[in-house]
Amino acid sequence: MKIVTSDVLPSLEEQGVRQLYSKGPNVDFKKELRSLNSELQLHILELADILIERPSQYARRIEEISTVFKNLHHLLNSLHPHQARSTLIHIMELQIKRRKQALEDIKRRREVAQRILNESLATLDGH
Amino acid sequence: MDIISQLQEQVNSIANLALNTIGTLQRDAPPNRLSPNYPEPPAHPTEDGANFSEEPKLMSASLVKAAKQFDVLVASLPISETGEEAQIKRIAELQAENDAVGQELQKQLEAAEMELNQVQELYRQATDNCLNLKKPDVN
Repeated sequence: MKIVTSDVLPSLEEQGVRQLYSKGPNVDFKKELRSLNSELQLHILELADILIERPSQYARRIEEISTVFKNLHHLLNSLHPHQARSTLIHIMELQIKRRKQALEDIKRRREVAQRILNESLATLDGH
Repeated sequence: MDIISQLQEQVNSIANLALNTIGTLQRDAPPNRLSPNYPEPPAHPTEDGANFSEEPKLMSASLVKAAKQFDVLVASLPISETGEEAQIKRIAELQAENDAVGQELQKQLEAAEMELNQVQELYRQATDNCLNLKKPDVN
């Protein structure tokens, strides 16, 4: 059986948003999230500056801040499949552990029952 | 709340703080002199000057604090660098192991069921014999 997951999260390009973090199969989530956070702080500072120096230029800064936020949320949303698989792995490990314990339990009780049966047969034969 | 939701909430609160900070400062800033040709703008009577210089410090402090909290949350993400393929491989391994344990469990259950029936049969015979030995007096 082949395990397949289908992601329904549309990529940023599909939504018409510029992607700021590096693409590729294995994204370093922590690093990209931290770098997006720093970039965000920088943009906010630049916005404050531009409102002092050239207030009419605010639109571009706002657009950049908005892009960073969209990237942040998209990155966080793409963590959900990873989280789902981790949860599945955890549940399966718990289930296997429970089943193995049940197996040991049954084996032990069968042995005890067998022993009691043999003892009682021996007792009966003795008479 | 799970870590991803916490991170998303933190991003939203950073957005709110940024909005409030910039908005409040822009709304409450005292007017500035544009050029020497224009007269000095009238000092705002109601706005407390000391109060206003405190506001940016407080608001920027909470903005930076929120950003640092975000970094802390990111650091606590339990992500291994293994990636999607490794996870899928692990799931397949666990599934195979689960199937094997399931079959073993099934075998043990069937054997135990059979032994239970045998014991019940023995018990039935024993009680029958007991009853036969103690036949009631027909006189």
